[in-house]
Amino acid sequence: MPHAPPRCRATPTGGYHVAALRPGRPGARGPLHPLEALLLVLVSLHAAAAVVALALGPRLGRRVLLVCGLAPLATSIWAAAQAPGVLDGAAVTQRASWVPALGVEATFRLDGFALLMVALVSGIGTLIFAYAAAYFSDQPHLGRFAATLVAFAGSMLGLVLADNILLLFVFWELTSITSYLLIGFEDTKGPARAAALQAMLITGGGGLALLGGLVLLGQAAGTFELSEILAATPGGTAVEVALVLVLLGAFTKSAQAPFHSWLPGAMAAPTPVSAYLHSATMVKAGVYLIARMAPGFAETGLWRPLVLTVGAATMLVGGYRALRQRDLKLLLAYGTVSQLGFMVVLLGAGRPDTTFAGAALLLAHGAFKAALFMVVGVIDHQAHTRDLRELSGLGRRLRGLAVLSVVAGASMAGLPPLFGFIAKEAAFEGLLHLELGTGGTLVIAAVVAGSALTFAYTARFLWGAFATKPAATGEGLTGPAVPRPAWTFVTPAALLAALTAVTGLLPAPLNPLVGQAGVALDPTLDPPNLYLWHGLNTALLLSAVTMAVGTTLFLLRDRIERWQAGAPGLPSAEGGYNASVAGVMRLATRVTAVVQNGSLPTYLTVIILTILILPGVPLAARASLPEGLVWWDRPLQAGVAVLVVVAALATAVARRRFAAVLFLGAVGYGVAVLFVVQGAPDLALTQFLVETLAVVLFVFVLRSLPERFHHVRWLPVDASRVAVSAAVGVFVAGFALLAAAARTEPSVSAAYLEQSLPEAGGRNVVNVILVDFRALDTLGEITVLAVAAVGIVSLVGIRRRRGQAGTGTPSAVHPGHEGEREEATR
Amino acid sequence: MRPEDRSLILDTCVRAVFHTILLLSLYLLLSGHNQPGGGFVGGLVAGAAFVLRYVAGGADEVHRMAPFRPQLLLGSGVVLAALTGVGSWLAGGELLEHGKIDLHLPVLGDVHASSTLAFDIGVFLVVAGLVLTLLESLGDVAETEEQAAAEREAGAGTGAAP
Amino acid sequence: MNVLVPLPIVLPLIGAGLCIALRSLAAQRVVAVAAVTGALGAAGAALAGVERHGPVAVAVGGWPAPRGIVLVGDLLALLLLVVSLATVLAVLVYAVGQRGTDEASGFFHPLYLVLTAGVAASFLTGDLFNLFVAIEVMLSASYVLITLGGRRSQVRSGMTYVVINLLASTVLVTVIGLIYAATGTVNMADAALRLDAVPDAVRTSLGVLLLVTFGIKAAIFPLFFWLPDSYPTAPTAVTAVFAGLLTKVGVYTIIRTQGLLFPHDRASTLILVLAGLTMVVGVFGAIAQDDIKRILSFHIVSQIGYMIFGLGLFTVAGLAGAIFFVAHQIPVKTALFLVGGMVETGTGTSALNRLGGLIRTAPAAAALFLLGALSLAGLPPFSGFFGKLALVQAGLAAEAWVITGVSLFVSILTLFSMTKIWAGAFWGEQRAEPAPAPRTADAAGAVATTGGAAAAPEGGPGALRPIPRLMTWATAGLVGVTLFVAVAAQPIYELSERAAGELLDRTAYLEAVLEQ
Repeated sequence: MPHAPPRCRATPTGGYHVAALRPGRPGARGPLHPLEALLLVLVSLHAAAAVVALALGPRLGRRVLLVCGLAPLATSIWAAAQAPGVLDGAAVTQRASWVPALGVEATFRLDGFALLMVALVSGIGTLIFAYAAAYFSDQPHLGRFAATLVAFAGSMLGLVLADNILLLFVFWELTSITSYLLIGFEDTKGPARAAALQAMLITGGGGLALLGGLVLLGQAAGTFELSEILAATPGGTAVEVALVLVLLGAFTKSAQAPFHSWLPGAMAAPTPVSAYLHSATMVKAGVYLIARMAPGFAETGLWRPLVLTVGAATMLVGGYRALRQRDLKLLLAYGTVSQLGFMVVLLGAGRPDTTFAGAALLLAHGAFKAALFMVVGVIDHQAHTRDLRELSGLGRRLRGLAVLSVVAGASMAGLPPLFGFIAKEAAFEGLLHLELGTGGTLVIAAVVAGSALTFAYTARFLWGAFATKPAATGEGLTGPAVPRPAWTFVTPAALLAALTAVTGLLPAPLNPLVGQAGVALDPTLDPPNLYLWHGLNTALLLSAVTMAVGTTLFLLRDRIERWQAGAPGLPSAEGGYNASVAGVMRLATRVTAVVQNGSLPTYLTVIILTILILPGVPLAARASLPEGLVWWDRPLQAGVAVLVVVAALATAVARRRFAAVLFLGAVGYGVAVLFVVQGAPDLALTQFLVETLAVVLFVFVLRSLPERFHHVRWLPVDASRVAVSAAVGVFVAGFALLAAAARTEPSVSAAYLEQSLPEAGGRNVVNVILVDFRALDTLGEITVLAVAAVGIVSLVGIRRRRGQAGTGTPSAVHPGHEGEREEATR
Repeated sequence: MRPEDRSLILDTCVRAVFHTILLLSLYLLLSGHNQPGGGFVGGLVAGAAFVLRYVAGGADEVHRMAPFRPQLLLGSGVVLAALTGVGSWLAGGELLEHGKIDLHLPVLGDVHASSTLAFDIGVFLVVAGLVLTLLESLGDVAETEEQAAAEREAGAGTGAAP
Repeated sequence: MNVLVPLPIVLPLIGAGLCIALRSLAAQRVVAVAAVTGALGAAGAALAGVERHGPVAVAVGGWPAPRGIVLVGDLLALLLLVVSLATVLAVLVYAVGQRGTDEASGFFHPLYLVLTAGVAASFLTGDLFNLFVAIEVMLSASYVLITLGGRRSQVRSGMTYVVINLLASTVLVTVIGLIYAATGTVNMADAALRLDAVPDAVRTSLGVLLLVTFGIKAAIFPLFFWLPDSYPTAPTAVTAVFAGLLTKVGVYTIIRTQGLLFPHDRASTLILVLAGLTMVVGVFGAIAQDDIKRILSFHIVSQIGYMIFGLGLFTVAGLAGAIFFVAHQIPVKTALFLVGGMVETGTGTSALNRLGGLIRTAPAAAALFLLGALSLAGLPPFSGFFGKLALVQAGLAAEAWVITGVSLFVSILTLFSMTKIWAGAFWGEQRAEPAPAPRTADAAGAVATTGGAAAAPEGGPGALRPIPRLMTWATAGLVGVTLFVAVAAQPIYELSERAAGELLDRTAYLEAVLEQ
C-alpha cells in the first residue's frame, strides 16, 4: 500500500475545514508532530494484537485478554495526550492512499466528537478487557476470543476515526463480522448461532443499504470525504434517496424499531461482549453516523421526520418491552434499545441544542450501561442465574456491588446528582427549543414517556437484582450462599459508577469534551455549560413528571407484567425477522426445485428454446429473405441433399441401434459427396475415412449394448421435441441464407488460394491451410484427438477396474452395466 | 481372439495388404503438401491398416505389430508438432512460421525439407496413435465381454446337459 | 518475434505431450509444475510489457491478419491469464498433495495441462475459429477430468455436462460459420470492421446468438442448469479449477466479443435482465442446498450475474468492475472449493448435516474458509468488496437502479448462505465420526488409502483424518492471492479500468492486430 505522507491540519475555530487533501497538492501538506501521526498505527495495533492473541493464545491463558487490552489502553493514553489540542478545536488528520480509483482512502480524522467516541471505545474498551480477564476462567479457545474482541475494538476505533465514508463503511462491516463471531463464540449452543446469524443478517442487510446510500451521496457530492461532503452539502432526489438508505443502515446497526430484535438476541454472547458491543460501541455506530450527518442533512428530504419518528418509537417500544423482562441481561438490552432511540432523536434532529445534549447522553449512557452490564455479568458468574425471580438477598450479601449498581442505575434513570440527570436535563432543554409544532410536542411527549419507562425499568432492575424477595425460587444461589466476587472483577464497574457520580457533582471538567464534540458536529453551536442545577424551569418540571410516572409504573409492576402478557401481541420484530427468513428459504427452495429439476431433456429444451427465441425473434421480425436465391448449382447436389435428409430422419426414427448407426454413416457419406461435388476431394477423403472409422467404432460399442433402443413408444412430448428440432433447423438454414446474403466483401480464403504455392510452397491448399496458414488450429485439434484417446483409456480403465473389484468374474459386472445403460438411453 | 475363431483367408489377405497400406499412409503423409493427403489422412490410413489386423487377428495381433504403448505415439505427436512451432523462434520467426531447408544429397539429389512436414508428422502420429488406442481399449473391452458371454453360455450348456 | 505471448499456450501443450508419453507419476508431476510455472512467468512478463507498451499481436506462422491466426496480448487477456495461471498452479500443487487425485489414473497431469493450454489460448486468441478450437481443447480435457475416478454418479452427471457442452460447441461453430458467411473472415479485428457493413437485423441477431452461445459456457440464466448438477461430483481439484476458470472463460469471451464485434448493438437491457436473473436464481439455489460443494456450485452461477451486470452497463466503470470482479472471483471461488476438499479429506463428507465443530478440529481450514467466504460475500476489506463497490458505483453512476439494488440484495443472501456453511460445518458440536471410507480414496480406487488411513483415525474419537500439509499450503497460497488482490486493489482496478477503456475504444486492439 503506497503511503502518502500523513499530514495534520488544524483550524482555529474547530469547525469543518475543507482540508485540501487531494494528492498532488504539495501546498496542503503541513508539518506533523511525530506523535500525531499515529491514527493508522493505532488501528493497526489492534490488528497486530489480534494476531498475537491467535498465535500465543494457548500459552497465555487468561492473560491473553490483558495483552489485548494494551491496544485500547495505548489508544486511550494517546487520545488523552491529544485532548488539549483537539479540545482547542484542532483536528488531527492523517491520510494514506488505498484505492483512490474507487474513492476509498485511508483518511483518518480526530476531532472533538471523535475524541468523545474514542473515550467510549478505547476507554471503556480497556476496562472491558480487564473485566473479561476476571470473567473467564482459563479455557482453550480464549485466544480466539481475545483476538476477535480486539479486532472488534480496532474496527470500532477505525469507524469513529474514518473521514472517508467508504473507509467508514469498511470498518462498519468489520464490526458486523467481528460481532457475528463474538455473539456466536459459544458456538455449540444453538441460540448463540441463531442470534449471531440474526445480528449479521439485519446489520449486514442495513449495511448494504448504507453502501448504496454512501455511494450515491459521494457521487452527488463529488467526494467521499465526510468533512468535504458536509462542508458543501449536496441536494436533489438522489441525495434524498441516499439519505434514506443511510438511515436504514444506521437504524439497523443501532437497533431501531423495527430492526431492534437482534440486540436482545445478541445477549447470547458472553457478558463482556454485551457490555462492550451492546452498550458502549457497536450499537452506537449508527447513532454516530446519524450524529455526523444530521447537522448537514436534517432539513433534506425525509431525514428529520424519519429520525424523530423512528427514534421516539424505539424509545417507547424498548422501554415497554424492558418492563416485562425477567432476565436481567434482556432487561438491560431492551433498555439499551430504548436509550438508543433517545439518542437517535437527540442527535438526529440536527439542532445545535439537541446535538449538544445528545453528545452528553452518549457519554453518560456509555458509562452507566457498561457498568450495569458488568454487574449483571458478576451476578451471573457468582449466582449462576440472571432471572430476577430466582435472585434474592443479593443486596445484603454483595453490598459494594449493590451500591455501585444503584449509582449507575440512578444515572440511567436520570436522578440527580448524577451525570445521567444532567444529560437528560440538557436533552429536555434542547427538545423544548425544537419548535416543530405538533410534531415537536409529540416528540417531547414520547421522550418524557420513554424516560418514565426508563425510570421504571431501572427500578425493576435494581429491585430484581438486589432486593430480598420472599417468593424467590429456582436453582440459582440466593442470599448468603452467593460467593463474593474478586475485587478485580468488580473494579471496572466501580470505576465507571464512580465516574458517573463525580461528573454528576462536578460536571465542569466535561464541558470542553462535550462542548467540543457538539461543535465538531455542528459549528453553529455555541456550547452551553453542563449544570447540575438549571434552576426551576420546564425541563425540571418534566423530570419531576418522569420520576412520578416512573415510580407509579414500578409500583404497579406486577399488574403491568400481567397485562403485557395478556395483551394482544403486537407484531413483534422478532416475528418479522423469522417470517422473512423463512419466506426467503421457502421461495428459494421452490424456485430451485422448478429450475433445477435434474432432467437433461428439459435442460436441453430450455437451452435450445433460448437459442431459438432470443436471436431468432428479432431476426424473423426485421429481416426478409434475400432475392435471387437459386436452389442448387448442380442437380446432383439436390439429389444428395435429399438422401442426406432422408438418412438423417431415418436415424432419428430407427428402432435398432445398428440401423441408426448405418443411417448416421449415410448422412456422413452424403456430406462427403457434397464436398466432392463442390470440388474439395481432400475434405471428402478425410470425411469418408472419419465416417468409416466412426461406423467401425460404433460397431465395437454396439456389441455390448441391447439390439433395440430402450424407449420406442410415441409420447406427446415427442411431438414438441420434433417441433423444436424442426424450428432449429429452419432457424439455422434461414440465418445462413441471410448471413451469406449480407456479405459485402470477399472472403479471406481467396488469399489462401493465391498464396498457397508462391508463399507457403504447397499446391494442396487444404493441407497448407492445415499445417501452415492455420497450423495453430491443427495443433489444437490434434491435442483434442490425443485427449479423446486418453479419455477412452481412462474410462475403459475404470470399467476394467470395476469389473475386477466385483466378485472377480467379469460376468458379475453385467447387472451394473445394465443400470448405467438405461441411465444413458433415457 | 481364440485361434479357432480366426479366418485363414482373411488372415492371409490382411497380412498381404497390411504393409502396402502402411506404405500408402506414409506416401500420403509425405506428398500431402502438394497432392491430396497429409498427416491427418495418412494417420487415418495407417490406422485403418491396424483396424484390418484387428478384424483378422484381434487385439493381440495389433499389439504384436505395434509392441509399444499407443500413448507414446500420442504424446510424441503432440510434442513434435508443438516443438516445430517453438523451433521457428530459433530461426527468428514467429510461432509455427514455416522454414525450409534445401539440401543437396549425393544420391537423392535436391531435397526440400519443410518444417511443416515435421508438423504434419506430428499430426500423423497423433491420429495413428488415436486409432491404436481405440483398438486397444474398446477392442479389449468388447473381447472380454464376448468371452464372458461365451463362458456364460458354455456354463449354462454344461449345467443343462446332465 | 514475440515469445512471451504464445508461451502460456505452448508450454502446457508440450508438457501435456510429455506427460501422455511418460509413465512415471513423479516425472509427470515435475513436468506439470514446470510447465505451469513457466507459463505463469511468461504471462506475467507479457503483462508487464503490455502494461507499458500497449497491446501486442503475434501473427502465428508469420501470416499477418486476417489471413493467419493472431494471438493478441492486451491488458484484459493478460490480466485474467495471469490470475488464472496462478490459480492453476495452486490447484496443481493441491492435487499433488491430495492423495488419490493424480494417482487415480495416469492421466490427470496431461489432461490438466491440456486444460491449461486451452484456457490460455481462449484468452489470447484473436481469431474466432481458433477461439472455437481453444474452447474445444479446454472442454475435451474437462470431459475426461470430470469423470476422473469414474464413480457412477460422476459418470451420470458428467453425461449432463458433456451433452450440454457439446450442444453449445455445435451452436458455437454454427455461429462462427454464420459470421464467416456474413463477413468472409474469422479474424476478430477484421470481422469487427466488416460487421459494420452487415445489415442491422442480421448483425444484431448474430450478436445475441453469440451472447447466448457463450452464455451456456458462462452459465448464465437460463442456460446454467448443467453446472450445479455436474460440478459437485468431480474430484475436488477438478471442481475447483473448473469453478475458478471455465465459466470465467465464458464470461471473458462474452466481454471480448460483445465489446469488440458488436459495439453498436449493445444488448444492454437484455444483458442486465439476464444478469439480475442469474444472480437471484443462482443464490436461491445456493440457499436451498445443504452441501458445501453444492452451495458453492450455485454461487458460481450467482456471481456470474455480477460480471454480466458490469458488462451490461457498457461503460468504462461497469466493464472495469466486471473485469476486476472476474479477476477476484477466479482465486476466491477456487480457494473455497479447495477448503471444501480439505473438509472432505478430513471428515469424508461435505454434507452440512454430518459436519460440525471444525473450528476446533481443523482451525486452518476454518480460517481459510472464513477469509474466502467473506471475500465472496463482498465484505470489506477483502477483494470481493472492491469488486462489489466498483460495480455498485458503476451501476449507480449509470442510473441502473434496479439491477444495482438486486446486486446488493443478492449479496446479503450470499452472506447468508456462507454463514450457513460456517455455522453448519465449523461451528457447533462435532457430529458423527469421520465416514468410514473417504471419498477421495473412493475416487482414487487406491487400495493403499482404504487399507491404511481409513481404518482408525489417529488421535482417538473425534479426531479428523490428517489433512496433508501440501493441500493446506496450496489453499493458503491461493487465499494469499485473494488477499493480494485486496491489498493491491488500486493497481489491479487501474489495470481493469485501462483494459475496459481499450475494450470500448477498440482502436488500440484493431491497430495492434491489423497494422502489424
